[in-house]
Amino acid sequence: MILHTMIQILALLWHQIVAVFAEFRRDWAEALRFYEEAYRALREMIATSTRLPPVQRLVEIRAVAEQLFFKISTLLLHGGKVEEAIAWFNRHFNSYKHLVGLDEVSFLHWDWLSRQFLVFAELLETSSAAIPNTLSSHFGTPESSLTEWEIQPAYYYQLAANYLREKRYCLDNLLSTGDSEFSRTSGKVPESVMPSVFIGQSARLVEQGDMIEVLPLSDAEYVQYALSEAQRFQDSYEIIALFRKACESFTNLKAPRLASLCSNRMAKEYFFTEDFTDAKKLFDTVSSLYRQEGWVTLLWESLGYLQECSIRLDSAKDFIEYSLEMASLPIFANGDQEIPDSKREYGPAGLPSQSRREALQSEVLSLVRGEEIVSRTDRGCSIAVTKEQPVRIDVDIISPLRMVLLVSVAFHDQSVKPGSPVMITLSLVSQLPCSIEVDELEIEFNQPKCNFIIINAVEEISAARSNGDNQDVRIETAPSIVLPTNKWLRLTYDVKSDQSGKLECLSVTARIGKSFKICCQAESPASMEDLPFWKFEGMVQTFPTKDPVLSFSGQKVIQVEEPDPEVDLILNASSPALVGESFVVPLTVIPRGHEVYSGELKINLVDARGGGLLMSPRETDPFSSGNHHVELISISRMGGDDESRIHSDKIKKIQQSFGVVSVPDLRVGDKWSCKLEIKWHKPKSVMLYASLGYSPNSAEAARVNVHRSLQIEGKIPISITHTFMMPFRREPLLLSKVKSLPGADQNVYLPLNETSILIVTARNSSEVPLRVKSMMIQSNSNKNETPYSIQHVGGVSADDSLLVPGGEFKGVFSVRPKIDSPNLELGSVCLNWNRDLTLSDSEDSGVMTEQKLPAVIVEQSPLVVSLEFPPHAILGIPFLFYIKVSNQTNLLQEIKYSLGDTQSFVFCGPHDNAGFILPKMEYVMSYKLVPLCSGSQQLPQATITSLRYSAALNPSVTATTIFVYPSEPNFFVADNEKETILAKLNL
Amino acid sequence: MIACVAVVGHQNNPLYLQSFTGADDALKLHHIVHCSLDVIDERVNNPKRSVITLNESYLGLLYPTESYKVYGYLSNTKVKFLVVTTDLDVKDTDIRSFFRRFHAAYVDAVSNPFHVPGKKIISRIFAARVSGIVKAFAPGTYG
Repeated sequence: MILHTMIQILALLWHQIVAVFAEFRRDWAEALRFYEEAYRALREMIATSTRLPPVQRLVEIRAVAEQLFFKISTLLLHGGKVEEAIAWFNRHFNSYKHLVGLDEVSFLHWDWLSRQFLVFAELLETSSAAIPNTLSSHFGTPESSLTEWEIQPAYYYQLAANYLREKRYCLDNLLSTGDSEFSRTSGKVPESVMPSVFIGQSARLVEQGDMIEVLPLSDAEYVQYALSEAQRFQDSYEIIALFRKACESFTNLKAPRLASLCSNRMAKEYFFTEDFTDAKKLFDTVSSLYRQEGWVTLLWESLGYLQECSIRLDSAKDFIEYSLEMASLPIFANGDQEIPDSKREYGPAGLPSQSRREALQSEVLSLVRGEEIVSRTDRGCSIAVTKEQPVRIDVDIISPLRMVLLVSVAFHDQSVKPGSPVMITLSLVSQLPCSIEVDELEIEFNQPKCNFIIINAVEEISAARSNGDNQDVRIETAPSIVLPTNKWLRLTYDVKSDQSGKLECLSVTARIGKSFKICCQAESPASMEDLPFWKFEGMVQTFPTKDPVLSFSGQKVIQVEEPDPEVDLILNASSPALVGESFVVPLTVIPRGHEVYSGELKINLVDARGGGLLMSPRETDPFSSGNHHVELISISRMGGDDESRIHSDKIKKIQQSFGVVSVPDLRVGDKWSCKLEIKWHKPKSVMLYASLGYSPNSAEAARVNVHRSLQIEGKIPISITHTFMMPFRREPLLLSKVKSLPGADQNVYLPLNETSILIVTARNSSEVPLRVKSMMIQSNSNKNETPYSIQHVGGVSADDSLLVPGGEFKGVFSVRPKIDSPNLELGSVCLNWNRDLTLSDSEDSGVMTEQKLPAVIVEQSPLVVSLEFPPHAILGIPFLFYIKVSNQTNLLQEIKYSLGDTQSFVFCGPHDNAGFILPKMEYVMSYKLVPLCSGSQQLPQATITSLRYSAALNPSVTATTIFVYPSEPNFFVADNEKETILAKLNL
Repeated sequence: MIACVAVVGHQNNPLYLQSFTGADDALKLHHIVHCSLDVIDERVNNPKRSVITLNESYLGLLYPTESYKVYGYLSNTKVKFLVVTTDLDVKDTDIRSFFRRFHAAYVDAVSNPFHVPGKKIISRIFAARVSGIVKAFAPGTYG
């Protein structure tokens, strides 16, 4: 047997030595193989005995195994064989995890195990560069037995911390019992113990004179030594450090749940070391994740610790919050049997159960009613709620304490008149396991005047209190305010507000006991979130109000309307507005029931196309380029009794589309009017908004508003057209006109130094009668250098001539250009008009409408043809017909002319002829014609052709028509009328 | 052999969690199941995974602890099924067939017209059926 053991030891040594030499030779594969052999040889030795006592022998074997494994995993990891290294580690761990040894020294085992994880984690961390990236692609598949976290050092750090924690538990147990066999037998820690030269062995140095002797230790001595060594270390700090390292890594790896598990463990360790501030901080962060994901059991554990921390930190408020939250949590159990509490597993709170919830609730209620609560872990520590230090808990819409008390507030209407009552329903629900009785409810609104208190009628204290400090607050009583579990308590009251605007219920504060208040933010039933945790429970759905419509649409906000205005605001516009005029809109304010104080009138002009949106015309029309199409010119007082004040300080502000003017104080029966002057620059439809804001009496700040609107069309009043003509029976030859294609351009050609006729027609296109005051052509250029002369020669008299809708007004002007120009500006037509109204104050100068005349082309005409014959003829009596062609050039002009035959006339003179015209001379063709028919007759068709210009002239039909009387007419009329008749006959 | 089965909703909230060890380790199993959700998130969001594995509901081994192994399965409605085994050497095919039966039981349970989707599963029939499947997975262990 001994021989066999010796052989095993030698084999182990040999393998190790060969491996070390192979390492020297850098033969990694060989080294690895021999280390593995050595490790295997060591495994075989576990069951055998050596000269060492059993405890120390196990320690030795573990130490050797650790060293061999360190070598193996280093070699594997540096060779990039991560998967193999991890598999080796698992094998190593599985081989030794059950080798706990005696109970007294089990802490050594856990310590060793923890070290294995720590060492491997550090190895993995240092060789993380060698881990191939492709490794992660096949986790969880049958090809790979590895998972994501197994290649992360954090995983091993976390486990190292776990085993170190195990070691601490064992050590604590051992020290607390203190009756181990070893401590009884030896009782004394041996001195001068040091590691021996052999791995995993310890020895005692004994000085004997000058000699130092190394003596072996007995197991009992060794255990004492190990215990004393272990006590020297502060394991908790090590554990916290390892967990922190793991937690940070997991956070970086985006594994929040593993990170929070580490935080949880870290917090427990802080709790163990009585660092309650840090523990509380960590537990708080951990709980928020569990709350968010609804893991009740995990949250319960953290809250149990937090509860204890609050007691130890002497914070009654925190304690109440945590206890209430725990008491209101649903229990996550699928028919779980009641398991005896284990403090180590579940922490101070134990296992979540219905009875624990009820106990917690009664504990909190007794605390707020004045009893003391003692810590479960340290009996010396306690908290209490006193009158001097009252506790107030605020519950908002994201607070987990909504489960404890949820308040939904619904007004029964959406708006209310000031001063009239409106119903409000307060619905309260609690998920606490037992009914809870509230002593007083305080309802707070954004208008403090509406606040009220509901007191529990059976509570005498409340009555006493109500006589005290809250004299001016309305007090209601309710027979009893008891909140059963998950059942809505509905209270309906009237609320009256005198102040217009928003009335919102802000919060409801429940008072329980003398010095505890829980203040819940009010929620609207329409927008109420589900309760956390309870939304996953299969509860019966209940509604906060009896009326289901109110449950879905009820709001905690109500609009208190303005009082009804009792003032008339009258806006009038009799007709459409005309572009160019300043259109007057009278506005009248007549107080009917209210008096008007500090009134303010706002005028706003808005494009009606914009659908009533309050936008200025500029914004709606991008092409107006900064000019308003419609402009508010002034707001002036009407009536004229105190004209001096009109434009002074009364008008506060006038903009192009907006005006504000103050209204004087008015009594009932008074009347105030003003006129708004608005000018249209372009035809546009405009909405005129007028709003009057005032206070019904001088003291109160509440303002009342009256709004009126009026749509006003803006129209073009007058359309102006014009035509150019030559004098009757006179035709100058205009060469460029002859050359241009007919209809190709709309240019107007005028002959130089000839008189042309300009007829301007103004047409009333509006629906109201207008009066034309004057019409003239205004030159654009300097008067002295006018390149043409224009004279008004005729037309209807312009002195206030009435222009009915659709009617026309004509002005006749003679134009005589003086220079040859291809682009002659003739100025513009100016028409001065006003409405045909007899308003008392409309003695205005009229409106000037201006329209520019187009440029004309002026050119010298080489030939001018004029026809001359009498205005009428008499049947059978000959008359003379001259065709005169004047040559205006310095050239000899050759012309051909012909006169056609007609049935109505016989004539003498050449049918066809030609002739030359000397420069600046006139050529006269004279014919004598005898009319053969009476009536309006066409003269023989004359054609004049200029050979030089290849231009022919055929005089127009109107120009060559003559009236033939059958005999000499006798007119027995007065001389002045004769002309008129003749003129008519001529037409 | 099977220590615990769990159904986790798509908000990562527990819908059903049952331990079969009979020991006082409910909290520990809650922690294990909760931490395994990290791996599910990682696997589902990991774009490196091949198409074949992505389409599959079975997620494989999620999380080995020292004494347990956690396997996962994801339904099309993002409901997660997890099983925690104490046996460290389980065949993949066995786990797959277990999950298929577990999923079928879940589908039957939530098809109940009185069950509100997203709420905890409190059906006794479901619990009985699941424990039946668990027992069938390792006959003799809990017989």
